[in-house]
Amino acid sequence: TLRLICTTMAVQQKNVGAAGPEKYTEAFIKKQIEEFNLGKRHLANMMGEDPETFTQEDIDRAIAYLFPSGLFDKQARPMMKHPTEIFPEQRKIQWGEDGRPFHFLFYTGKQSYYSLMHETYEKLLNVQKHQDQLTVQDLPLQKEKRNLAGSRWLTKIELEEMLLEKLSDDDYSRFIQLLQKLVALPCADIEKEYIQKFSKEVPAQLQKVVIEPLQYDERGVAFSTGEGKRKTARATAVVYDNGSGKITVNGIDILHYFPVLQDREQLLFPFQFLGRIGKHDMVCTVSGGGRSAQAGAIRLASAKALRSFVTEKEVEFMRQAGLLTVDPRVKERKKPGQEGPRRKFTWKKR
Amino acid sequence: RIMPVRWSRYDPSYLEPEVNKELYQKPLEKLSEEEREQMELKAIRPIKAAPPTLSSSVFSDPMISKFTNMMMKSGNKVLARSLVSQTLEAIKRKQLEKYHKAPENEKETIECNPYIIFHQALKNCQPIIGISNITKGGKTYQVPVPLTDNRKRFLAMKWLITECRENKHRRTLMPEKLSQELLLAFNNEGPVIKKKHVLHKMAEANRAYAHFRWW
Repeated sequence: TLRLICTTMAVQQKNVGAAGPEKYTEAFIKKQIEEFNLGKRHLANMMGEDPETFTQEDIDRAIAYLFPSGLFDKQARPMMKHPTEIFPEQRKIQWGEDGRPFHFLFYTGKQSYYSLMHETYEKLLNVQKHQDQLTVQDLPLQKEKRNLAGSRWLTKIELEEMLLEKLSDDDYSRFIQLLQKLVALPCADIEKEYIQKFSKEVPAQLQKVVIEPLQYDERGVAFSTGEGKRKTARATAVVYDNGSGKITVNGIDILHYFPVLQDREQLLFPFQFLGRIGKHDMVCTVSGGGRSAQAGAIRLASAKALRSFVTEKEVEFMRQAGLLTVDPRVKERKKPGQEGPRRKFTWKKR
Repeated sequence: RIMPVRWSRYDPSYLEPEVNKELYQKPLEKLSEEEREQMELKAIRPIKAAPPTLSSSVFSDPMISKFTNMMMKSGNKVLARSLVSQTLEAIKRKQLEKYHKAPENEKETIECNPYIIFHQALKNCQPIIGISNITKGGKTYQVPVPLTDNRKRFLAMKWLITECRENKHRRTLMPEKLSQELLLAFNNEGPVIKKKHVLHKMAEANRAYAHFRWW
């Protein structure tokens, strides 16, 4: 045994940074899971509900009731979740007792990424071999068009979670290029299951919005309401049927409220697109924002209101013309050390 | 809020909106498979909101909007738009004067529609080939380079505006100067067309260095 002589305190102190993120042993995680299940049953007892059918939503509601918190950040409030959601998944130790690593690509640094690339390339070569066999036998190559529009590839974060390893943007784009190359070959249907592991279904249709039915007011005239916003302006529009094309904003006619032609054009845009200029009356209220923002807000509100008057196909056309999306552009914040959001201070040589 | 730079507020999967009414009224007799694929893609992907300058009415013209934006100073779109509309009015008035004074046989050749004159004048001003500075071996050479459509349109509009702002008499108003320039450009005369020809001649003169271009 050696005795430490003439050393500094710096060497003896724990090097906190070199250890990396906290490593949890399997026993620790198991204990946490047992404690969580016990705690769940206790909580159910306390709330007077059945411990067997106590779901995660019930747990969240119970915790929010027992420990009310006024903090803004949801992540900072008290929460009780399953330990697998709280403690991130970690890789087990990659080498045995003699220090020899298990995986043959361990010393590359990104073993799972490179093994994945190797596997994908193997599948590619497989498909090419199959293609060559078919051409030798003079059989026609299968040219079924896969529906590419309904699926998307995994994002970089999802891939990182799958491989339990950090990836760079470059690595990720190379992997996606390889997958696209594989999919582009005619006989790629052989490896469909392998490809399905890396693609996700885009939620079926973007028409999940429910179109409200028409309402009828006292005189029997059909009307519908819509709300719109743009930057800081908020607008509500009520579109009446059997009208003469009059539009009123905050009790004032549009010619007086919007002296600029561009804003009036924007107000009439949805009506002109559907060809119903002289057929509807509109009464709107708008507040906040500037001249152009208010016009954009009213345009969105009137387009949403017109959905109830019009067939589903025309609603789809309106959506493709960009009339039904909320414009997410807002004023960019000013950053410290700069004069504005993008403009830097004048550079002075001395 | 985290706000990364060089980034748009839309997700990259959002597609551009298509405002033209006629494209939507076309029944299923589309041009090719590409259009069909595009339709499918559009049906699933989300679409960006239409900007305030874009509209489906007959009166909105993308070239005129681009020109208005280039004329605009410190965000004063109202002033720029009024200048452009006054220019188009001035063009119409001048052409109508000419029309009423001309003899019968020439009346059909005079073009009165200011939009057509604007488009034709811009087309006449567009250079075909441009020049770019390439430094090789310490010396900078002017190398002839092909231009994209967008760049051609931008150069034509930029030349028109700078020409009107600088080389004219101080007291004349912008619409008058612009209408004069546009009519001259429509007839292939005027200082902007001369500038275009000078650029072409420079490109032809430096033809020897064309192999310096690597793109």
